[in-house]
Amino acid sequence: MRASPIADRYGPFLDLAHQHQVIFYYVGYFSQNIVAAMAEAVKLQLEVAGVSGPTRRKLFSAFIEMAQNIIHYSADTLTPPSLDDGELRHGSVCIRQESDGRFLLLCANPIDPETAHGLRAKLDTLRSMTLDEIKQAYRQTLREEKPEGSKGAGMGFLTVARDAREPLEFDFAPADRAGGPPVFYLKAAL
Amino acid sequence: MDNLYIAPTPSSPEVDFRFDTHRLSLRGESYPENAAAFYADVIAQLKAYLAQPQDRPIDVQIALAYFNSSSTKMLFNLIEALNDAAQAGRQVDLHWYHDEEDDTLFEFGQELSSDFPALRFLSHPVRPA
Repeated sequence: MRASPIADRYGPFLDLAHQHQVIFYYVGYFSQNIVAAMAEAVKLQLEVAGVSGPTRRKLFSAFIEMAQNIIHYSADTLTPPSLDDGELRHGSVCIRQESDGRFLLLCANPIDPETAHGLRAKLDTLRSMTLDEIKQAYRQTLREEKPEGSKGAGMGFLTVARDAREPLEFDFAPADRAGGPPVFYLKAAL
Repeated sequence: MDNLYIAPTPSSPEVDFRFDTHRLSLRGESYPENAAAFYADVIAQLKAYLAQPQDRPIDVQIALAYFNSSSTKMLFNLIEALNDAAQAGRQVDLHWYHDEEDDTLFEFGQELSSDFPALRFLSHPVRPA
């Protein structure tokens, strides 16, 4: 059969996704409707992949927290920064499986350099905490007033960390375009 | 006062507060973009209802398959309002439905029952579909 120019180019991309056992990947703008549609796709994918009920629920929960963080905090926004509903912001999210069967959730979005500083401190603290301390902080935050600067309850990272099997990993990379904001990466192993 | 009904969406629950018969229910999934905005009016109407002089028992059904972190906080506030009414002498039954495999939902229910002892808390495990 004659080599297909489309398969030649698109094939390696699909092969790479296959090698990395990518279950779900999205890059683009995030809105609430887009997240709800992705939520449906993720649920179906995990069910078809035969993932156990409890793991599926934890993955789903972490996925929603990450996706909604992008809606609320990505520095690449199409809507005015003052808006707290109907937002549209850019980022990416990925669910993949490792050879040992564990799942990895990854997300990335550009972030304001000023926000990056506080975020690093917050995640460093979270990484140093034991599971019991994380659960304790979760219970405490639930009963406190909503923290300054949060558009949710200030419990998103705690929720993901509580369900993860290892401390959350994060990174800040230089801008992907000249003069652009740094890119924030977050990884959770479930 | 008027009953409160909000139709469900994929990311927000059905709110069916029948104040006239003292039966309140929340069903579905809860991860609206802005949970504070979604629940603010629900909680305000609930508080207005609870402020009315009335001694009939209240039956509350909460069957949420999933709620995100910001909904968790709003839910906590909503249940706190019910507990305040219960402490003031009103009987409030809280039926908490959770997937039998879902430890997170079960534990959250346990926490509610210990935090809000004035409520009559009834935990209902549900078999996954």
